[in-house]
Amino acid sequence: MEVLLGITGKDFTIVAASKAAMRGATILKASDDKTRELNSHSLMAFSGEAGDTVQFAEFIQANIQLYSMRNSMELSPSATASFVRGELARALRSRRPYTVNLLLGGYDKIADKPTLYWIDYLASSAPVPYAAHGYAQYYCLSLLDKHHHPDIDFERGMKILRMCTEELKRRLPIDFKGVTVKVITKDGIREVEYEDDVKVVVP
Amino acid sequence: MDSLVAQYTRPAFSEAGQSQEEQQGLSQASPELSLKFALPPVAQSASWLRAMTDDYSNPNCPIKIAHGTTTLAFRFKGGIIVATDSRATAGNWIASQTVKKVIEINNCLLGTMAGGAADCQYWLAFLGMQCRLHELRHKRRISVAAASKILANLVYSYKGMGLSMGTMCAGVTPQEGPALYYIDSDGTRLAGNLFCVGSGQTFAYGVLDAQYQYDLSDEDALELGRRSILAATHRDAYSGGFINLYHVKEDGWVKHGFNDTNPMFWKTKLEKGEFSNVTADLV
Amino acid sequence: MASGYDRALSVFSPDGHVFQVEYAQEAVKRGTCAVGVKGQDVVVLGCEKRSAMKLQDTRITPSKICLVDNHVALAFAGLNADARILVDKARLEAQSHRLTVEDPVSIEYITKHVAGVQQRYTQSGGVRPFGISTLIVGFDPNDETPRLYLTEPSGIYSAWKANAIGRSAKTVREFLERNHKNDMDREETIKLTVKSLLEVVQTGAKNIEIAIMAPGKSLEMLPVEDIEKYVENINTEKQEEAASRRQGRTPGTGTAAILTRTSGGASQPGA
Repeated sequence: MEVLLGITGKDFTIVAASKAAMRGATILKASDDKTRELNSHSLMAFSGEAGDTVQFAEFIQANIQLYSMRNSMELSPSATASFVRGELARALRSRRPYTVNLLLGGYDKIADKPTLYWIDYLASSAPVPYAAHGYAQYYCLSLLDKHHHPDIDFERGMKILRMCTEELKRRLPIDFKGVTVKVITKDGIREVEYEDDVKVVVP
Repeated sequence: MDSLVAQYTRPAFSEAGQSQEEQQGLSQASPELSLKFALPPVAQSASWLRAMTDDYSNPNCPIKIAHGTTTLAFRFKGGIIVATDSRATAGNWIASQTVKKVIEINNCLLGTMAGGAADCQYWLAFLGMQCRLHELRHKRRISVAAASKILANLVYSYKGMGLSMGTMCAGVTPQEGPALYYIDSDGTRLAGNLFCVGSGQTFAYGVLDAQYQYDLSDEDALELGRRSILAATHRDAYSGGFINLYHVKEDGWVKHGFNDTNPMFWKTKLEKGEFSNVTADLV
Repeated sequence: MASGYDRALSVFSPDGHVFQVEYAQEAVKRGTCAVGVKGQDVVVLGCEKRSAMKLQDTRITPSKICLVDNHVALAFAGLNADARILVDKARLEAQSHRLTVEDPVSIEYITKHVAGVQQRYTQSGGVRPFGISTLIVGFDPNDETPRLYLTEPSGIYSAWKANAIGRSAKTVREFLERNHKNDMDREETIKLTVKSLLEVVQTGAKNIEIAIMAPGKSLEMLPVEDIEKYVENINTEKQEEAASRRQGRTPGTGTAAILTRTSGGASQPGA
């Protein structure tokens, strides 16, 4: 019941991930960060098998940073997505695959465009304008289909995100303890304060 | 002279190369973290182990792993409280009432054990060894983050092979202050303020969450830790024995006893009037 | 003289030398000079740059100063191609350390690792030692003290206030020994670095590279124009100094200000 959401707009990409870390019937942590910064302009959000998620994300993070050090330049979001997909595909055919679903938000400084890649544990990768993983897909994609446009500004993007999280709070049977929200723009990655104290009611 | 030397040296050249292992030993600065174990002579040791030890689906399984625990640790303004029970069970059988479930890694770091007793004992001792080696290599005490990560990476490398552990690493270092990590055999590793682990975790959470605050005084924090374990030993059949209580402070941990739960229970009941579902008189 | 003991790497000569390692140290002495100087809260690396050929693209020819991690810089003297391999191993270790310990490497740790790799190549079969010495500088995480370490082909590593490696390293080291002061500020440290390099680099600013590290900041490569300014200043100072010496001890009022700045250096020859 982990939630991952991604929305691109005119000049930004928003990535949101649920804050609950669950094990069995217990929420162990309500402020978990399911994202890792790969370099100054790409961010990876992950969900899936416990252990695999963080191991894979940090492995990718170390390799992307190593690339930056070796080449004195940062890997572009599209190249990063290819690398991540490749590593997942390689692992998929190994003795022990990573069961990890990913959203890769970025900002391509050369093309001057926000990017978002949807990658699942079977190593499918697709560039998309908005995306979700897990049960969030069933609630949010229809909503995003209706309200999203490629040229929306940041405020509009946050408004759409709010619609998504409120729907999830309303209909998802398990409390996911809200989301951490991060935004990638041409200036880099920043975390956004996301107030989550509105009570939603099921009509 | 030169020809004599040449005679001696020639064979040396031809064998200048080293054996594969020697090469590897040289090119690998420190030994691998994962050790090599002798495995049972079966095709799939992991699934074999699961078949032999799963007492949930098969109560008559031949190997009963010691399980069942309540452990807790929480951060508060005065440091970290670590508390555990002391019962080890193998199936329905109480194997011991006096298990030490807190391992003292060094005078600033503690680890707790829940899950397979053997797995925890072995790997936490191994962690202790790694921490000491880190200390010697780096001339500085290991951070709690690094120590917990050694364990997390280690258990992750054995993922799917039947390890069963839920542990916490609590410690204080000058760089990070008081730090608390949860690590389990799935490979999960979480930093946090409060964790309860084991079959009695829900009972401990119930008491602890209700009265937990970061600003607790030392005495209140110790009492809350003790009372939470007591609650779990009362309701969880697989927890009991003695309460092992530790307080991790800026300058290292302090042990606050290994006390029998039985008199503690009656004292709590009779003096405070709690546990009112238990009656002392025959009706 | 060596009589065969220099052929296989892992063979001692009867008098206890490992000749291949000593030859590697010779290769270092043939490399261009590199200097490292610690100031009070800054550490500076300086390098002699080989003169570019007419058709060489200097903008993208690799530098002798490289980043190992955001807070660690490394300069080397010796075989460029060997350095590339060693630097890559250091970079890999820096990221690996971040991954497993969740902390950036300390300067001593990465130095020890680099020296460890170099040592391994003096004791394995079928390999040749690294023909480079390195200067490793930077700041430990959450720490303001500048660090400067030296590693050699033999695998020895040591800590310094200032040191030089490569061609004419002895001359530069002696210059640094005479002129280094504790607690130099940024300007003084850069100036000393440039000045020490000018002892062996005759061609001036276009053949000098300077990199500066300060706590919590990324590596700063000094632009050529700035280096030129330092070189000019140093040259005029030297001329004035020479002139005043010829005139006897009557320094003009106009030049006194400049002279006091290098009082340590200027007073030394007289002492």
